[in-house]
Amino acid sequence: MAKRDDPDKLSELLGSFNGELLSEIPQHFNDDSIKVERLLLDMVRPDPIQPRRILPDRIHHEFHDGRLTPSQALRELVQIAQVAARQRGHPFKNLLELLPDPDRDEEDIKLTPEETLLKELITLAVTIHQDGQVNPITVVDMTHGVTRLYRIETGERRYWAGWLLKDFLQGFESDGMIDCIVVPADRSSVFRQAKENTARRGLSAIAMARQAALLLLTVNGYEIPAYAVTNDFYRQALELRIPRGTAQEIYAAMGGVDKAYFSYIKKLLLLCDEAMELADRHNLDEGVLRSITGLAPEDQIEMVQQIIQFGLSGKQVEKILHQDEQTTNETGTTKFPKHINDFVMGYSKHVDDFESESLWKAFLAIHRDEHLTHAFLMRLGETAFAAARNYKGQK
Amino acid sequence: MKRTFVLTNHKGGVGKSTSATNIALGIVALLRQAGAANPRVLLVDTDSQSHATLVTTGRNDFDEDNSLYSVLMANRQDAAEIMGQVIVPSKWDENLHVLPASPMLEQAERELQGTAGSPYRLADPLAKHAPHYAAVVIDTHPSFSLLTEMALVAATDAIVPIEPRYLETVGLMNVISKINYIRDGWRIPNLRVSGVLVTKMDRRVRGHHKLLDELSAHPILGKLLCGVIPMNEAVSYAHRYHRSIFVQNPKAPASKAYGQVAGRIVKYMGTSGGA
Repeated sequence: MAKRDDPDKLSELLGSFNGELLSEIPQHFNDDSIKVERLLLDMVRPDPIQPRRILPDRIHHEFHDGRLTPSQALRELVQIAQVAARQRGHPFKNLLELLPDPDRDEEDIKLTPEETLLKELITLAVTIHQDGQVNPITVVDMTHGVTRLYRIETGERRYWAGWLLKDFLQGFESDGMIDCIVVPADRSSVFRQAKENTARRGLSAIAMARQAALLLLTVNGYEIPAYAVTNDFYRQALELRIPRGTAQEIYAAMGGVDKAYFSYIKKLLLLCDEAMELADRHNLDEGVLRSITGLAPEDQIEMVQQIIQFGLSGKQVEKILHQDEQTTNETGTTKFPKHINDFVMGYSKHVDDFESESLWKAFLAIHRDEHLTHAFLMRLGETAFAAARNYKGQK
Repeated sequence: MKRTFVLTNHKGGVGKSTSATNIALGIVALLRQAGAANPRVLLVDTDSQSHATLVTTGRNDFDEDNSLYSVLMANRQDAAEIMGQVIVPSKWDENLHVLPASPMLEQAERELQGTAGSPYRLADPLAKHAPHYAAVVIDTHPSFSLLTEMALVAATDAIVPIEPRYLETVGLMNVISKINYIRDGWRIPNLRVSGVLVTKMDRRVRGHHKLLDELSAHPILGKLLCGVIPMNEAVSYAHRYHRSIFVQNPKAPASKAYGQVAGRIVKYMGTSGGA
């Protein structure tokens, strides 16, 4: 009896029953080339790690955490856009009202990012319905057993447009399928995705920063998870260097950037979450964000809001920051060297613990010489006296 | 176009389920042996007796929530998604997947009688899943009921298993006419009768030889003859232990015969562009 659960033996057995047949089996059974297939939308899922995010952050995370279905995620987006439109005094009920209307004067209307996104998706969906899906999306075959699953490598917008057609746009219903170029899992890579991303226009600076982080993490051997991650995951790349021999590949995957620009892009990961989300949603350039990465989180957020509100350029941002610096220096309220700040903070916090014997022992432990320790303490005392006298003089 | 084979005959006990399951597994094993990139085969059980489901999955507890019944009774837009959810792996091979039947199918048949578009309730969602498989094999109920009609509408190739008995061979032309009637009536130009499979051939019975000779000599049926499966006790044991004939007894004549039928089908799939 052939052993159970031994597929190879079974195949050998069947082969033996068929003599020369196996050699006659046409080659196209063995064809593992990349194919275009029409797949059910339900079997396709966006890549949670894809640096180029389509949905707003909150919806993105809730969707990838499995708390929202694709239809629910789109419904959330529609609701956000509806609220924004109502606040502008242009409410809409039917999504098709967002389509460009030549009879309407729309030049002065400034849409929110969510409205813009929804409008773009609807336009894309209607185009797909009318002209067909000209370009298939690229998906990676993640099928395991009977569970068919395909992860989007590129083309997430067309995926969401497909869902709009399936569940939202009355009169434009589709069969719930999408044309996909199916890439075997072993041929998928972060580099390939990066090249696809950077080859297209409109990749935001924050998406570029996430892309740079992913590449750096990959070449440094970090495991890239298959679930949605916070920005802290990408920020790990701030401490990483490009390993020897991989620089050219990374710069090429980033669209042929140079070392300096890569460094600037990477530094955008220093932005706090909120600033990052705002910058991403409003597609701000690296140039305007460059000088605010060193600010405190609340200042970053305020500056990003100003950039968005007034459409500031990189030079204008720098000028504002320079002015701020001058003003603070003039008022003399802040900006001490770090070592002074640290000492003062430590002393102020533990003032009761600073008794003479411990201070002597601590200094001696560092200098290992009594004369030297004595000299340091005398100098500390003189400096403290001088500071106190300064206060008296000011008074 | 992916080949979808339906094994059908309105007579019961001719070996439809045995042939469907073993041919499906045979295709998987042969494609794997040939190094095919995609050796997956989907076995669709449309018979409410669920024999094919039972022997391949070891289960017969599928119900209205996790079987073909759920697919047939779903909204048209949701049917394909539900089909994806109810397909289960077989215990025979990781590349043989099963869309299980349940006794509820009889009820589905009653409920769907006269419903517009009911013959397409299997074909439509299956068309969205078939590209994922190298081939689809459908087992049918021993009758020309609505479910069998659905299976034929979804298929590209019909294989008719028959026992080598006089009355069966007389009825064979009726079966073929019925299949042709469905092809023309529902305008399914891709459906064709691709094979006649003689099962339970007892070499000791002279009458069986005589009928097989007549069948082979027939100008149409002779060309359709795609295999002869000998009567074999191993088949019964295989059913009993929920195994394929190849695993139950690889040296049994029925094993070799089913292996050769699977081989012819794989060759046909390749030459007819059905890969």
